[in-house]
Amino acid sequence: MKFHWFAEVTYPGMPKGFPAPGQVNWIKTDTTLIDPRATGELYRMFIRLMQGADKVGFDGLAVNEHHQTGFAMTPSPNLLAASLAGTTENAAILVIGDSLALYNPAHRVAEELAYLDCLSDGRLIAGFVFGTPMDSTFAYGNPPVEVRERFHEARKLILRAWAEPEPFAFNGRFNKLRYVNIVPRPIQTPPPVWVPGSGSVETWDLVIDEAYCYGHLSFSGLQSAKPLVDAFWNYCEQRGGDMNPHRMAFTQIICCAETDAEAEAQYYEAVRCFHRSNAVDPNFAAPPGYSTERSMRAQGTLMAGRSKLTPEDRLRASRGEMSFWEYDEKGYIVAGTPARVRQRLRELATDLRIGQLIACLHMGDLSEAVAAQNTRLMGEQVIPYLRDLWAEYPDHWTPQVSQQRVAAISPGRPEPARAAESAE
Amino acid sequence: MTGAAETTMRMSRVGAFDVRSWDRGSGPPLLYLHGFEQHPGEAPYLARLAERHSVKAPEHPGFGASTGIEDIQHILDVALHYREMVEAWGQGPVDVVGHALGGMFAAEFAAVSPHLVRRLVLVSPYGVWRDDEPAADPFVLPPAAMDAAKWHDAAWAKRETSAFTDVEDKAELAIFRTKNLSAATKFLWPIPDRGLNRRLRHIKAPTLVIRGESDGLVPLSYARDVAAGIAGARFEAIPAAGHLPMVETEQAFIDLVEDFLR
Repeated sequence: MKFHWFAEVTYPGMPKGFPAPGQVNWIKTDTTLIDPRATGELYRMFIRLMQGADKVGFDGLAVNEHHQTGFAMTPSPNLLAASLAGTTENAAILVIGDSLALYNPAHRVAEELAYLDCLSDGRLIAGFVFGTPMDSTFAYGNPPVEVRERFHEARKLILRAWAEPEPFAFNGRFNKLRYVNIVPRPIQTPPPVWVPGSGSVETWDLVIDEAYCYGHLSFSGLQSAKPLVDAFWNYCEQRGGDMNPHRMAFTQIICCAETDAEAEAQYYEAVRCFHRSNAVDPNFAAPPGYSTERSMRAQGTLMAGRSKLTPEDRLRASRGEMSFWEYDEKGYIVAGTPARVRQRLRELATDLRIGQLIACLHMGDLSEAVAAQNTRLMGEQVIPYLRDLWAEYPDHWTPQVSQQRVAAISPGRPEPARAAESAE
Repeated sequence: MTGAAETTMRMSRVGAFDVRSWDRGSGPPLLYLHGFEQHPGEAPYLARLAERHSVKAPEHPGFGASTGIEDIQHILDVALHYREMVEAWGQGPVDVVGHALGGMFAAEFAAVSPHLVRRLVLVSPYGVWRDDEPAADPFVLPPAAMDAAKWHDAAWAKRETSAFTDVEDKAELAIFRTKNLSAATKFLWPIPDRGLNRRLRHIKAPTLVIRGESDGLVPLSYARDVAAGIAGARFEAIPAAGHLPMVETEQAFIDLVEDFLR
């Protein structure tokens, strides 16, 4: 089982009560609320936290791309990745990912990711994403109906730009290039590719056909994800795809503390802040054409499984109206002592057949000290005891260099008190 | 060809695409190009036009049952699609009435095929843009705001007809609407300007631009800009109408159009 350190880079200083009714934090974000100096402080904090994660056994340091939002202030994940690639030693640099439809010409991504692979000595994971509707169609103005085609053209161009030894011509619909011959070239040939999705059957076909790592990236946890993740695995099996658990990534907010009571005291406001900060105008959430007709139809067939979460649960979670332990019970967070977190993550990863956990260890306006404690407890008291999970499967989706270096500093250990926990 | 009361949309082949079309009436040929939301199906105003014209009202590529949106990259591809359709019709030059997105298509078609357009009517046409007066974004308006933008009197909303008639089938209706709008994003997203302003001067057909005075989607200045770009074009505002004057003020609309096409 692999663990990747991740946080949305959420602006922590929104006024009390944010968002007010009608207020949003994407696209029409009130940017006067976001102080540039405080933003710089925040960036430096995340770099320190992730440098710390590199030392305690995390397999990857995950960065992502969003635009025009105070919820996740990383318009170029490659910039944050560069700060980490040159100042860390062990973990993979997990860019999850570059929104391919937004780069034109798209071999810019091939160049920047190659730079990161060189700088990190072969530790790059190349994540390719479609981008949220807010990112790809509103902030960057692509007609929704073109996002997929732009993505795939860019993906093919990038993979060819890494592979072809000689200059080549690329006559795409959106990228017209007479001479493609990028410098630098990546160390890995090629870096592993991850493609997260949100339930599009076309994305399932892509990751199955190309043997990419799929990612179900939500912040709603096990109960919400279960029907879709199960549907993915069923589809994968039917299509004869690779059932290796390491080809599946999943995000989970984790709140680890010495005691359960301390967890509630230390994390509750930050969890509420996190959910309240992700304030999307519903009219911007599903532009026509972002999902294909085939995927719309699949919602009623392939993906028809029912989540245990009700629409009211989702609304209350987004408004910060759940208690700390209700967030935990419903799966939005995994909270408590290291022993409790271990047990719940083992259940989650086994239930969903997840080999790559993208652990969200900072959320909302959490302090650096608590996030550092979260990181340390995970590294010392959680991760080592879950290394046995899926150990019989080879991991083709994290770089060889990071696998070797992390194994040297974070070997697995047997669970100290399995009997005691199962008696709970 | 004339007078059938049942829905008379039929499939046919135009070049490489399958096209569903409402064809009715006799008289001089009239091509009607529908707006960005949907083909209006059995619309009373189409039947009125068919009293004096041989009307062909095709569904745009990617809308409803018409195919081909995947092969359309550029607005020129659309103009050539309609050129091919009118040539195959074999009636010589035709009158063209285009509404909203269909107005944009009609203007582009008339610009590249002046020999095939006798007279041109553009109703609340999309196709131009002013940064200092950004038009409403039709893809993000919630239903109540959309109704307010579309209608002078939102009570008219239920009078709007559609090519999709099985109103009980909510799932298929949602797919129909989404498919239509996603095809429309090809030309209207994020800004409904694909360079028409540079090509308006190539329109040689006598042109009438119509706009409902309460249209909340296409601003007055936009409609006037289109008219100003076409030599000799006339502009008419229809009072007590919104974005669909042919629905809300059918008689005034028919009077204006028939008078102009005479």
